[in-house]
Amino acid sequence: MRTIEYLSGPDALLFVPAIAAGVAIALVCGVLSVFVVLRRLAFIGHGVSHAAFGGVGLAAALGLTGMAASSAAGYLAVVGAFCIAAALVIAYVSAKAKLREDTVIGVALVASLAMGALLLHQRARSGGGGVVSLEGSLFGSMLAVGWTDALAAWAAAVLVLAVLWVVRRPLVFWTFDEPAAAAFGVDTMRMRLLLMGLLGVSIVVAMKLAGVVLATALLILPGATALRLSASLGRVIAVSALASVLGVLGGLVLSFELDWPTGPSVVVALIALMIGAMVARRLSGGAGPARGTGGAVGAGS
Amino acid sequence: MSHAAIELEHVGFTYPTGARALEGVSLRVEEGSTLAVVGPNGGGKSTLLKILLGVMGGYEGSVRLFGMSPEAARRAGVVGYVPQRSEAELSFPVSGRGAVEMGATSRLGGLRRVPGDVRAHVESCLRLVGAESFAERPVGQLSGGQWQRVLIARALAARPRILALDEPLVGIDAPGQRLFAELLASLRRDLRLTIVLVTHDLRTVAGAAPSCDQVACLRRTLHFHAAPGGVTPQVLAQVFQHDLADVFGDVHVDAHRAAECGHDHGGGGGGGGAGGGVVPLRVRPGGGV
Repeated sequence: MRTIEYLSGPDALLFVPAIAAGVAIALVCGVLSVFVVLRRLAFIGHGVSHAAFGGVGLAAALGLTGMAASSAAGYLAVVGAFCIAAALVIAYVSAKAKLREDTVIGVALVASLAMGALLLHQRARSGGGGVVSLEGSLFGSMLAVGWTDALAAWAAAVLVLAVLWVVRRPLVFWTFDEPAAAAFGVDTMRMRLLLMGLLGVSIVVAMKLAGVVLATALLILPGATALRLSASLGRVIAVSALASVLGVLGGLVLSFELDWPTGPSVVVALIALMIGAMVARRLSGGAGPARGTGGAVGAGS
Repeated sequence: MSHAAIELEHVGFTYPTGARALEGVSLRVEEGSTLAVVGPNGGGKSTLLKILLGVMGGYEGSVRLFGMSPEAARRAGVVGYVPQRSEAELSFPVSGRGAVEMGATSRLGGLRRVPGDVRAHVESCLRLVGAESFAERPVGQLSGGQWQRVLIARALAARPRILALDEPLVGIDAPGQRLFAELLASLRRDLRLTIVLVTHDLRTVAGAAPSCDQVACLRRTLHFHAAPGGVTPQVLAQVFQHDLADVFGDVHVDAHRAAECGHDHGGGGGGGGAGGGVVPLRVRPGGGV
């Protein structure tokens, strides 16, 4: 197997950061994906991940696309600030403005893609180098992930999971029934902005590995898979995180074996898991999600 | 001085589109009474409910719930809200009990464990509405009547002083409607809750009649104060633009002047003058008042 050859060869250390980052990204995206799917935010997630491409172009224009730690940290800071700002603007404008939500997302998506492509094009024309290529930005690249990215991914994972734990009760209520949650005193705008901010953070750290176009897959497919297997929110979240980790690791193996780009390989693995879940559900009687006590997550703990 | 449970004075509301939803609405609901707000779709019922729930600002006039603004009342958990079935995400992986727990724990900090008394309260709410037998079922597998009981238990779990129900009988079959009327009566009797029931369907009012002691008819503004002879089924028929004989059957509807009820309804001063207000009705099946 080429995977074993790569990982036992002299260049093995080149891939360790990507694997370490991949597990952290998978964990955090797997948990968030349940809320994205249940709250029907898939298109918003798609818009935010594409908006990050504008940040990639900006980072390239600023010369922050090298493998050096300072360059990688600068890249993450610029793309992160851009992505989180875009997420919050999309969340706020789509909730408050008279424009339709899909229109707001569509405008932000294409504007940011165009801006990113133009800035990367300018950078290439002016002879600027770096490890962030157009294809790598769009579809991900294992070799672009360094130790700084892996550390950032783990820091982001700890931060996002800690915030989710603290706000789990109002967040779950808001996800389940927004009008009622508002009437029960939950600050629904705060929940929306918070979730979008967390999505922004996750997409930033997922982008180098999965790419702008396919980072959204990590925010949709694991949750959609897990929701076919359980009727308890706690179990759905656990299964989603597990499916996400399996999908990312499986995607990395596919990428090694078939010399495919990382992002599409991860998507193929995640879709295979989802199909497997659908088949398993059908074989188990097709009676829908597994019966469970289904207590609200954390409500009873 | 004790405050009324709900007190509205000359409340108006205009949407950003310019549509006037409420005009000079005044009413006073004493603690422990049950008010049914009826009116046609687009008549301002949902707007009024959102204002009471503290989720819609920008209104004119004064709104007080036990002396508090709706926003303060919302933060204090004064109003328990029972929404329409269609508003919740019923594919959500949660059981009836989990949904009720949300009402009890949404204000708890994330670092706190759920106290034992809160758990016990959730159980008592489930028991009160008769939902123990299906509490473990996923919400998507509950019938309309069962889901409605879970929603009422969720509202009660937040320990409210006012219970607001939005179109409570939509999708509920006849036996479920009878059970609902009994539940409403027991909540009022046992918990001394002030209940506001909002509906476009006069069948809901007719069904809940034994436990309702006030009916407000809302179509942007007070519609019946100027009605000579008070509110009659014929006047209601005019508002709803269809014959109400099939709705009320032998239910006798009779109007009382506000002054006769001893309530100050504001606006028209209870004497049938102009301005906002509520016309209290006695609605009792089988005739008689």
